Amino acid sequence: MAGVELKNLSKAYGDVEVLHDINLSIADGEFVVFVGPSGCGKSTLLRMIAGLEEVTGGDLMIGGKRANDLSPRQRDIAMVFQSYALYPQMTVAENMGFSLSLERRSKDEIAQKVQEAADALKLGPYLDRKPGQLSGGQRQRVAIGRAIVRKPQVFLLDEPLSNLDAALRSETRVEISELHQRMETTMVYVTHDQVEAMTMADRIVVLNAGNIEQVGSPMELYNHPATEFVAGFIGSPKMNFVKGRYADAVGAATLGVRPEHFAIGAGDNTWEGKVTLVERLGHDTILYVKVPGAGVLTVSLDGQHDQQVGETVYLRPQPEFIHKFNDNGRPVAA
Amino acid sequence: MGRWLLVFVLGVIAILMVSPLILTVFTSLKPTTELVNPPWYPPFNLTFEHYVRVWTEGGFSRYFFNTLVISVIDALMMILIASLAAYAMVFMEFRGKIVLQVLFLIGLMIPVTAIVLPLFQIVRSFGLLNTHLGVIFADLALAVSIFVFMFSSYFIGVPKALHEAARIDGATEFQIYRRVVMPIATPAVVTTALLEFLWSWNDLLLRLLLMTQDQMRTLSVGLLNFQGTMTRDVTGLSSGTVIMAIPVVILFLFFQRHFVRGMTAGAVK
Repeated sequence: MAGVELKNLSKAYGDVEVLHDINLSIADGEFVVFVGPSGCGKSTLLRMIAGLEEVTGGDLMIGGKRANDLSPRQRDIAMVFQSYALYPQMTVAENMGFSLSLERRSKDEIAQKVQEAADALKLGPYLDRKPGQLSGGQRQRVAIGRAIVRKPQVFLLDEPLSNLDAALRSETRVEISELHQRMETTMVYVTHDQVEAMTMADRIVVLNAGNIEQVGSPMELYNHPATEFVAGFIGSPKMNFVKGRYADAVGAATLGVRPEHFAIGAGDNTWEGKVTLVERLGHDTILYVKVPGAGVLTVSLDGQHDQQVGETVYLRPQPEFIHKFNDNGRPVAA
Repeated sequence: MGRWLLVFVLGVIAILMVSPLILTVFTSLKPTTELVNPPWYPPFNLTFEHYVRVWTEGGFSRYFFNTLVISVIDALMMILIASLAAYAMVFMEFRGKIVLQVLFLIGLMIPVTAIVLPLFQIVRSFGLLNTHLGVIFADLALAVSIFVFMFSSYFIGVPKALHEAARIDGATEFQIYRRVVMPIATPAVVTTALLEFLWSWNDLLLRLLLMTQDQMRTLSVGLLNFQGTMTRDVTGLSSGTVIMAIPVVILFLFFQRHFVRGMTAGAVK
């Protein structure tokens, strides 16, 4: 096991710099998730740690050693790819044992380690099958098995769940979290899905346009976003941003209110609006409310409610949960 | 109506293509006395005497062996060289890659006949005239560009993530080539083996030029023995041609499926 440290790390393709001056310290055994929109550089950053992309500036340290110029094999890392990247001509057992066979371990040792990993991932019955004979979820478990069989210093996972359907995704998410608790290995996980980030990470790194916007625990990011971008990216449904008179009233350029931080009911300081759409999820009811001067706001109510489209409602943002941002998208000092 | 027309046109084309082969087989199996009959008459009394004569007195047993050795080595070496070069072009980054690609492209454009004389000089300067090795080197050099492009077009279809996964697993480039990429490149390997074997087997020009001694000759050159300026041994020529064609036909029948797949690789996604 080892920690990972990025010191002033940058990446350029020719004259175009895609990652700027990244500084980050990942502790030994920590589960860190890189999250951000498409093209923000999160996968590139992960691939730089893996050794699949050259570092063009700064230092990359793995286990306290400078790893900029080490090949992937010298870094003692394992990676799970979005596309699984299983060797199609090999069986599940051969796929999982491939790295060990390259290290010229004995056949007995390889078989034993593969069996252990297969048991942990419930892959025992499939060891003799080829990847083409497996379902998407099973293939992803084989890819994870191939990574854990080596007991690497650092695990890298590049959007490993994005090819799975919703049900399998949440199931595999739990399995990966349990795996991390069991193995206590450093894990770096890339996703564009903030729900994955919130549910799995010890710390989340939010990236935007090649820069780190904020690093923190899921609750830190949720409760105290450092920028308007982070506030909008973390949380589902996403935060409402209101400009104009409602923002002016609280001394901010932009006022941020999460959908779950609205209460409904007449009274002082309420925003009057008309319901334009209702999504009934059973445990939640999501209302889309058009408020003059604020636009269409998303409101998430606990439980089941009977508001109808076209109905007038009065929204009351809970003052202790509102977020105020200045013109630069930074929080307004209290 | 349209369907019958199609069958008719295809039938005519098939007959035109197959008839020379059938006539050759007929002639090779006819006793000399039946040669006065029109060539499209089938043999009334089957005989293999011409085959025996060509194989023994005509020296075809030795020519066959020579051709087989050259063609098999050609095919094996071509698979190795072209696949390694294509692997480097597709999966590796190195200085001078573009120059190398351009050189291979030039290699595709130059016809053999244009460089026959310098090629002769080069092979002679290496002391490889009248050796199998000289012909093999010349064959490989002249056709390697085509097979590098064929392998490249196949390798481009191999997901990059496979190569990356193998690097992460700790494989060297040669281990990735041998254990990950080549095992899934069977159609390209079979196509290369068949095509190179076929070209080598059928080639006349280089063999005529680079191997003048009788004991080094190949089948295609041996066939010329049956054809003088004033005379022609039709039965010998026919049975020699059939002997030469049989291995190729057998190979095609066995590997036809792989061959078609390899030829169309990279054509569509």
